[in-house]
Amino acid sequence: MRIKSRRSTTWSRRDFMKVGSLAFAGLDLPKLLASSGRGSEMSCIVIFQLGGASQLDTFDPKPDAPSDIRSSFKPIPTKVPGTQITELLPRTAKLTDKFAIVRSLHAVEAIHERARQHMFSGTRPRNELLHPSLGSVIANEWGSKNGLPPFVAIPESDLSAEAGFLGPTYDPFVSGDPNAKTFSVRDLTLPSGITLDEAGARTRLLSALDSQFKQIEESPIVQSMDEFYRKAFDLISSPAAKKAFDIGAEPEKLRDKYGRTTVGQGALLARRLIEAGVRLATVFHNRYDTHVRNEPTSKEIIPAFDQAFSALLEDLEERGRLDTTLVLVIGDFGRTPKINFSGGRDHWPRACSIALAGAGIQGGALIGSTDAHASDPIDRPVTVEDVGATMYKALGIDAKKIYMAGDRPVALNKEGEPIEELWS
Amino acid sequence: MLAAGAFAGPTASQWKQLRLEPEHVALAGPGASQHFVVTGVDASGNEVDVTGRASVTSSDPESLAVDSARAVLLGKSPGKVQVRVALDGISKRIPVEVRPGSSDLRVSFSRDIASILTQKGCNGSGCHGSPAGQNGFKLSLYGDDLAADHGMILHEHNGRRVNLNTPADSLILKKPTFAIAHGGGHLMTPDSEQYKTILQWLEQGADFDDSGAQLTKLEIYPSRRILVGRGHEQRMAVLGRLSDGSTRDMTSEVRFVSGDETVVETDADGTVRAAGSGLTTVMARAMGKVATASIGVIDARPGEDYPKMATNNFIDDLVFAKLREMNERPAALTTDREFARRVYLDAVGMLPTPEQLRVFLNDSRPDKRARLIDELLESEDYTRHWLVKFEDWFRNNQLHSQGRSMGVFKDWMRGWITDDRPYDELVRRLLTSTGDTMINPAANFWHPSTDFMLKEFSVIKVTPSVTRLFLGVRVECAECHNHPLENFTQDDFYGFAAFFSRVGVKHGYGEYRRTWYLKDEGEVEHPITKNPVAPKFLAGKQPEIPEDTDRREVLADWIVSPENPFFARATVNRVWHEYFQTGIVEPFDDFRSTNAPSNPELLDRLAEHFVENGYRFKPLHRLILNSRTYQLKSEKSGQTPLERMLFASFTPRQLPSEVLLDTIVQTTGVDHVFLARGPLQTYPEGTSAKDIYLPDGPDYFLMTFGTPRRDIIKDRAKSPTLAKSLHMMNGKTLREKIEARDNLVGKLIGAGSSDAEIVAEVYERAYSRPPTEREQETVARFLLDEESAGRGRRRALENFLWAVLNTKEFQLNY
Repeated sequence: MRIKSRRSTTWSRRDFMKVGSLAFAGLDLPKLLASSGRGSEMSCIVIFQLGGASQLDTFDPKPDAPSDIRSSFKPIPTKVPGTQITELLPRTAKLTDKFAIVRSLHAVEAIHERARQHMFSGTRPRNELLHPSLGSVIANEWGSKNGLPPFVAIPESDLSAEAGFLGPTYDPFVSGDPNAKTFSVRDLTLPSGITLDEAGARTRLLSALDSQFKQIEESPIVQSMDEFYRKAFDLISSPAAKKAFDIGAEPEKLRDKYGRTTVGQGALLARRLIEAGVRLATVFHNRYDTHVRNEPTSKEIIPAFDQAFSALLEDLEERGRLDTTLVLVIGDFGRTPKINFSGGRDHWPRACSIALAGAGIQGGALIGSTDAHASDPIDRPVTVEDVGATMYKALGIDAKKIYMAGDRPVALNKEGEPIEELWS
Repeated sequence: MLAAGAFAGPTASQWKQLRLEPEHVALAGPGASQHFVVTGVDASGNEVDVTGRASVTSSDPESLAVDSARAVLLGKSPGKVQVRVALDGISKRIPVEVRPGSSDLRVSFSRDIASILTQKGCNGSGCHGSPAGQNGFKLSLYGDDLAADHGMILHEHNGRRVNLNTPADSLILKKPTFAIAHGGGHLMTPDSEQYKTILQWLEQGADFDDSGAQLTKLEIYPSRRILVGRGHEQRMAVLGRLSDGSTRDMTSEVRFVSGDETVVETDADGTVRAAGSGLTTVMARAMGKVATASIGVIDARPGEDYPKMATNNFIDDLVFAKLREMNERPAALTTDREFARRVYLDAVGMLPTPEQLRVFLNDSRPDKRARLIDELLESEDYTRHWLVKFEDWFRNNQLHSQGRSMGVFKDWMRGWITDDRPYDELVRRLLTSTGDTMINPAANFWHPSTDFMLKEFSVIKVTPSVTRLFLGVRVECAECHNHPLENFTQDDFYGFAAFFSRVGVKHGYGEYRRTWYLKDEGEVEHPITKNPVAPKFLAGKQPEIPEDTDRREVLADWIVSPENPFFARATVNRVWHEYFQTGIVEPFDDFRSTNAPSNPELLDRLAEHFVENGYRFKPLHRLILNSRTYQLKSEKSGQTPLERMLFASFTPRQLPSEVLLDTIVQTTGVDHVFLARGPLQTYPEGTSAKDIYLPDGPDYFLMTFGTPRRDIIKDRAKSPTLAKSLHMMNGKTLREKIEARDNLVGKLIGAGSSDAEIVAEVYERAYSRPPTEREQETVARFLLDEESAGRGRRRALENFLWAVLNTKEFQLNY
């Protein structure tokens, strides 16, 4: 076990040696890792547009482009003079003074899986090394709070949320769909018909049987499994966890305001969760991969996003949480300027639009611009690595910090530079 | 040097051998010197440091003097001399040469300054050698680009780091002596040799001076040693071999690094000190070269009471010899029940049925374990089980092949495993494959090295995949910079990549079917020189390849040739890792000189055995499974890292996802429903988790328990997680099987079995053993309590079954 880098950590060498010998046994040590979490007052909500949203149909309208390029949705003025977005985002348009838009994001990956991994980690995935998603890094850096999982994916997880070289301990906890009539968190809620009392009884039997299995009782894997079973049971029986996920406790009016959609209720659940102690909640909003029928699909999904995003911003601000919460709207990539023969738009990493709010970010900022067809940045190009460095800066995490991926020292975000204008 | 009284040395007649190292010393000239180490081998084969006790004399002190107190040979005048080493009536002579070179050496940047930068850690990855450098001062990692380092020191930032008018005022002297604050600390004093060397170099003009002899190899002595007792010390001697045939004492010029400071600590002068029991490597580095010594620390040598161990085959001979050397005791032999459960899970990925178990237990033949192993290796379940491992190795993956040809590839590999066809042939077929992936299954091997949207084959992706899989070597570092822990450079990486430079791929329109072909031309470009790179074997030569020859054929020939030091070792180590969870080299695919095998003789013999048996896996499985080493108990008290490294007992492990799911099905008697491609389609009832084609499909259980997506090179995640515990406790997978009307519990109730009978049957199936009396009581009391809580008998038994499936004993192979 080689441990280097003075910058990497606050642990002592002795701690490292202890972990080292156990890491050698292929184990994660939840206890030790949890206690290493330094905590933070910050939290983060990500709305991830799965499939990749069209920049032309959202934040970067080009009304003067030819008809096979420009959006069929008209641009509308917004709260910030001079900034226009499309008519699919009327609620968001009233709030442009509360968030920043980056129009000049220039990505490189054109395949969904890799593009998402790139975007959510801020580092391009390699053949043999996958960087952890932002949520996994936060889970590792800050640990858990109030016994809640630090990182939650809503409604399902996606491979881009995975913990990469940090290992599955830091993968997200999956919520299920809060917009479903019978919403219950996967594996968190006891099966119907089983009372807490019955669950307690059978868990006691489990402990009794386990304690009579003496062959390998001090093996690290046994201790580690014990630890996770204890955590699992705590979570199942914890009223706090139940309450955090109980979206039914939100006022009906507020639920309506967010919109009775997966992204709407997802954004509301995310807000509820970060209030309860979750560090990062990400809502995966699906169906942006509009290779066919871009226009009708956009009409369904973008207004749902508009309602959810605008409600979230207002809600966070009313509750005084916007300053301590980073809100990110990111996705796989942009979409082709030219509309294809199926009326769709294909993958287009060269120009994408993203939005950022909270965490001290200057509302109303408009970063970068693209050419007449929204096909390439012409001004202030931003890389995915820069977005990564920006996320880390906003959350107060040292992006240049060296992590150990096994024996290999790797910087969390080696090449990115934060978009400093967001704070000026 | 040696802590007196740490152990009592043998008496005169007990020395079997005496060695003075290094040998073949050729001092550059009068004034040059060389540290040495004297080793005695006693009657039991223990190697002991006797440097301070042996008499060392020169046949011609006018030419070569011996400073016994410092253990140094000193060149006086040119000549060839015999050095005699003697101890307790045994002696030996070795030749030493003093060449007529000048002792008035100029300080050379490439030789001397670079070695100080390395020795002091300045160019390490945590300091100025990191990709970003440190405070603007950036050096190449461990000095692999000395010209750039020279430029950085002399010229960058307007040459502020050197002052040629008053050399002593130079920043590069004031920082490390802490005359000016230095983030890297206080590294040298003005009276140190290093300070004087740097000063002399500045005084002579600070030129680069690349002329003169280059360092070609480093050697460290002793190359292996067991230190007895904490605090026991050993002085190491390091020799450099130079391109002009001379040698140079590098002992005070290298940087010593301990592989594990809880085992040994190192001092800058080459003293190695025992810190705690264990086995590790001490590395000496200088100028991009590295030498390693294996150092073990034990509290005491094994005494009279060290047990004599029965052995089953050569694995045991070598494992037990190592354990004895390190004074570690192996665990006891498993019981028949323990063995049966373990070998079923490991060899075929299933639990023994109660009937299979009964037959085995009732067999009274002395070789019944060997017979069971033979039987299992011929079963269909063996094929099924190893097929999943092959899919992991070769990354059979929906993400890249879009599922269309995954099945084709899987079915093709199945045949190789069933027939146990030679692995070298399989590897050759994979590496030289072309054609349509639906028609030539082997061509699916290339999928993971493609970006399917970009429709490009990537030599950057294929190179580390092939080196890891077939050579056990990680070269990916060398894609961007020279390897920090091994002598691999970017030249090596791109030289290897060049074997694949003519591989091309065509994509069918409208579907993801692919055809692999060879292009007539195509070269790999070196990222720095921008020149085409000729194909070159890893750590080997550049073969002559005629224009019309498939370069991959040449590569495949080299990889599988018995002379290749990597292939057989990497392969047996990979298989060994499957059984023991720890490779003889660990990580199992990270062979390098700085990551020595814990038992080199064992690795060599296994590799020989694999080659002798025609690269077939079944003889290897048979050998390992029959060894007593494999059949040792897992220790109640857990393993120390050393016990684990030396295979002193069995390491308990979680079952792979497919095996756990299959055993849940086996125990509950309820099939699992696997979704297949297409709407509402499922696999037929009774399908094993190992037989499905979509590891990245929607099965939540398999994904949660670690079935890999195989899209990148990554080992299976084996650690416990919260999601696993939650899913076992509360999830749909278990719930459906526990609640199914006609599951095991339902059938037994229907057949009129008593509670005690049902409990016994569940135990036999889940744990391959009957319940103890105490367990019977515990469960009986639970069932009673459930009844008084108002839950019916069936429900109470379901809860019992739930508890059993959630125990560690069920979920672990131990």
